[in-house]
Amino acid sequence: MKIALDSYHGMNTIIHRWEPRTKFIALMLLIFAFSFVKNIELIPVMIISSFILYTLSRLPFSFLLSRLCLPGFFIFIMLVLLLFLSQGTVLFKIGPLAVKKEGLSLAFLIAVRFICIITIVTILFATSSFVKIIKVMRSLGLPPLLAEMMTFTYRYIFEIGKDLMTMLDAMKIRGFKARSLKDVSTLSSLAGTIFVRSYDQSDRVYSAMVLRGYGQPASFEEDFQAKKSDIALMIIVILTACTLTLAQIFL
Amino acid sequence: MHIPDGVLPTSVCAAGYAVTGIAVWYSLRKLNKQEDPRKDIPKASLVTAAFFVTSWIHIPIPPTSVHLMLTGLLGALLGYYAYPAAVIALFFQAVMFQHGGLTTIGVNAVILGIPAMLCHYIYSYGKGIINDSKVKNSILGLIIGVTGTGLSVFIWFLILINFISANLNASAERAAIITGTLAHVPLMALEGVFTAFILVYLKRVKPELLGEQSNENSAG
Repeated sequence: MKIALDSYHGMNTIIHRWEPRTKFIALMLLIFAFSFVKNIELIPVMIISSFILYTLSRLPFSFLLSRLCLPGFFIFIMLVLLLFLSQGTVLFKIGPLAVKKEGLSLAFLIAVRFICIITIVTILFATSSFVKIIKVMRSLGLPPLLAEMMTFTYRYIFEIGKDLMTMLDAMKIRGFKARSLKDVSTLSSLAGTIFVRSYDQSDRVYSAMVLRGYGQPASFEEDFQAKKSDIALMIIVILTACTLTLAQIFL
Repeated sequence: MHIPDGVLPTSVCAAGYAVTGIAVWYSLRKLNKQEDPRKDIPKASLVTAAFFVTSWIHIPIPPTSVHLMLTGLLGALLGYYAYPAAVIALFFQAVMFQHGGLTTIGVNAVILGIPAMLCHYIYSYGKGIINDSKVKNSILGLIIGVTGTGLSVFIWFLILINFISANLNASAERAAIITGTLAHVPLMALEGVFTAFILVYLKRVKPELLGEQSNENSAG
């Protein structure tokens, strides 16, 4: 299972070289500006800006598609619900169900908004290392306790995930195959074992960390130095976000 | 059970962030009152990672399978760390799997975190009045499992149906809430049973995880 956030962060493009803090601020503002859009006339701006940024990042198109697939089912169900349950002008009928004009335009807007936001999120997290992103969030005011928890959790998700896969393999080798609800008891013991192992590991991790000086006041090194080109990129993206927001308010 | 990006209006996302901000602030305030608040960070983080990973376990319900949320167990095991843990787990879900979204982390944290906090209070109160009886612990596990998931499902439907579009037909809205909630009743029951099994297992194998003394210590 390929779940690492930053599998493509080692590439060398203008987006990858973009200093993480200015990139984070600019792209997060763009994401929120996208979520603010309700006017269907602004859809081309969202699509074009997402497309330009994704092309500049040179991330594989298949990578984006794989990230769109998973939540796609939920979005699909919701769009169907919107198409048929909205009130308004009937466009056409499929059996007893009527597709309304208002429902269709809202479903289209939500689908585009969803795709554009996922595109920007993918660019943001695939083009910087995750440790740097946590440092950026910390420098922007994320409480130290949350930043520490986030770093630890990210570090151990992969390890505990590997443990789970090993245990599932071991169960399969011994002939276990989850077939019915009767297997709930075995699966709950599996989940319980994961919790017990992670708890035991946390004890060892904590002791090792104390030996290395953990417990002193938390300090985060901020080594972000934005160049003129980074700031210029940030201004361009922020201007796009502001334009979208203002256009939404006044159009 | 997570709402993706682009679905909710910005005002609702902002309200979600505000409620989550207050809840996280409250949790951190409670945690900072402890003698050494950083001492439990590795434990809370690893258990958060374990929650994240256990959501990959699929329970067979022929002809399909489901994965569980374990909201009740999150509250019981993590206490005041439960809300920050929910925010962190949702952040990773959003950026790794696109389950949920960055703009909707606040709202999704309300859906997961508020029931988890409630289950923390129910569990803390419940364990004070029950003894080591396996049956009573199972019932407590069942209660927090059903309450956690039931409340999460209810908040999820309320938010989706009320805020997704003002244009939806009112009677269709009502029907969707009732149908959607009823469709999740088997899942709530399953969560309850699963939580009860895990709680009894942990009570037997690792009571320290539930904030109790180990069996070996108490025996000694």
